Amino acid sequence: MIRSPLTLALLSLALAACSPADPQQGVSSALANGVLLPAYGSWSEANSQLASSGRAFCADQQTLSEARQAFLTAQSAWASLQPLLIGPLAEGNRAWQVQFWPDKKNLVARQVEALLKNKPKLTPADLDKSSVVVQGLTAYEYLMYDSAIDLGNAEQKARYCPLLVAIGQHQQALAADVLDRWQAEDGMAAQLHGFPNERYAEPAEAVAELLRTQVNAIDGLKKKLGTPLGRQSKGQPQPYQAEAWRSKASLANLAAGLASAERIWRGAEQDGVQALLSADQSPLQQRIDAAYSDTRQRLAALQRPLGELLADPAGRSELNALYDSLNALHRLHETELAKALGIQMGFNSHDGD
Amino acid sequence: MKRRAFLGLTGATLAVTAAAAGAFAGWTLSDNGAQPLLLSARNDAAGKHFAVGYRLDGSQAFATQVSERCHDVVPHPCLPLALFVGRRPSPQSYLIDTRDGRLLQTLHTPAQRHFFGHAVFHKDGEWLYTTENDTSDPGRGVIGVYRLQALQLQRTGELSSHGLGPHQLLWLADGETLVVANGGIRTEADSRVEMNLDTMESSLVLLQRDGTLLSKEQLPERKNSVRHLAVASDGTVVSGQQYMGDPGDAAPLLAIKRPGQAFQPFPLAEAQRLEMNQYTASLAINNELRLLALTAPRGNRVFIWDLDSAELRLDAALPDCAGVGAVPEGFVVSAGIGRCRHYDCRGERILTQPLQLPAGLWDNHLRLT
Repeated sequence: MIRSPLTLALLSLALAACSPADPQQGVSSALANGVLLPAYGSWSEANSQLASSGRAFCADQQTLSEARQAFLTAQSAWASLQPLLIGPLAEGNRAWQVQFWPDKKNLVARQVEALLKNKPKLTPADLDKSSVVVQGLTAYEYLMYDSAIDLGNAEQKARYCPLLVAIGQHQQALAADVLDRWQAEDGMAAQLHGFPNERYAEPAEAVAELLRTQVNAIDGLKKKLGTPLGRQSKGQPQPYQAEAWRSKASLANLAAGLASAERIWRGAEQDGVQALLSADQSPLQQRIDAAYSDTRQRLAALQRPLGELLADPAGRSELNALYDSLNALHRLHETELAKALGIQMGFNSHDGD
Repeated sequence: MKRRAFLGLTGATLAVTAAAAGAFAGWTLSDNGAQPLLLSARNDAAGKHFAVGYRLDGSQAFATQVSERCHDVVPHPCLPLALFVGRRPSPQSYLIDTRDGRLLQTLHTPAQRHFFGHAVFHKDGEWLYTTENDTSDPGRGVIGVYRLQALQLQRTGELSSHGLGPHQLLWLADGETLVVANGGIRTEADSRVEMNLDTMESSLVLLQRDGTLLSKEQLPERKNSVRHLAVASDGTVVSGQQYMGDPGDAAPLLAIKRPGQAFQPFPLAEAQRLEMNQYTASLAINNELRLLALTAPRGNRVFIWDLDSAELRLDAALPDCAGVGAVPEGFVVSAGIGRCRHYDCRGERILTQPLQLPAGLWDNHLRLT
């Protein structure tokens, strides 16, 4: 401990001079307004729809097919958020409440059944106190799609509906809370606009976190494809380790995540991370553009669901080519783009000391 | 400061005990003025390793390139020098003149030993104790004993750490009793790979300077590795753990040993435990404010608690946060990416300000002198 008084030279004065002309502040601001806030808004809206869909379905005012569509919309909105997962939703254990993946031991099915056995008249308050495993979209998907459940059967519908309604309500409340935290006066969006603030010392820190989050999400897309492909299990396909295998939305989720990653790169109006590259770095810009295009086209060309593609050699070969394309995209960001922008991807966090 | 009182220092004049006279011959204590000096290992963007010293206003005192990455820094209790301790499994540490960054000595472990990244100088300034690995029996914990003479450290012997894979060690308030975090993990020479995750044996050990074991305590979870420590002026020891088991397990990531009490989990709320991603890094205690600070770089969070009531005072985002040290107002925290922060904890609400130190690439620990 030092007892002598300490005079701190703080950055605030120096940074007060930062004008919007600061390119990093410009990108951070533009991404907050043009990409992140709209995505969080859509996600919150999709969860309101999910909650009302659950209630309507359980009141026999909506068909199963309509209820499934509301689920798919909410799930896709969540998949879109992966490359944008900074701030409130990345903190406080909130993301786990939305999705429980990977679920290697099929905990979702086991915990849903155990919960309903213990609490046949489950209330939303009961769910709020339960494990994150049963609070989110993964459990909702289990109810909507699992082959062991027939929601066309009135008895089963009565059994599962309290949980369906409670999950919808939980997700709606969670999403509304997160959106509030983005839009509040000193909230996340404000912290991406004005510097310094409680979170970021300067615009460069915000841009660095946006890029790291996006790059980690692209790495996450590799895992979401590589795990069912058996890349971590000696080439043996693991179709039930895929994200969203029950709703057969694995590839749609990948596409939603990829599209958001590309929006961080491009920005809503060509004002994303790419705007920070100088004219003499345009070859790198073109390579990244081309890499997005390659991955996007390969994904769009897949005509069958992931489970079917995994089942035959031709399908697996297409998926492996997609994986390689994602890998190339990831490496371009992680190494070349980060270096070109002078952004540190990580230093101590995997140090193990 | 205690150490000044101990040595009877006045102003910039150094009065030393007879035993230490040889070690300190020809040296005077530098007057640091009002600005503390922040010492840390740091990389540059090209990946080269440095031992650095900065004033908190951002002015650089020194940046000395060293051949291997360092971990903790051990300032000498009265001379302007510090040992930058090699990060495991480095066999090298660097004795640096903190006035100008001059490398005084590259300290090597003997054969079949390497540093684990931490060390302490005894309060008299003559003896240094380090945590080391006996690679002939990989993981067997050794406390290396070195003597400072004529500005050179000489190994004189070693003690047992009474455990596996010792990491941080510190003094209890008496300045004579060592507290050692035995991480419980066996690793080989030149390796950071764990060999015994299923048979880990971590412990918190108190021992006398002559190696006499005073106590050895364990947390119930076998895979919970006790790594880092902070000791308060009343002798309260806090430890930070890294849990090597399942990500879903609820292991206590902070533990506390109050004077005369058993080593036990610190009352940590579930929300904060989850945010740590099973991994804690550096700890510091502010004795005047009785606050405990912790960095959790995998969760990208900085936490501050009241040491006595365990009330949470701060839970803030700071990507890849690294070292933490106490200043009169609260704490200073460095980061592997982004700027260092100053947390003013004197008021009801903690005020956060970035510091004008270079951004990023700061290693796990910092020391303020």
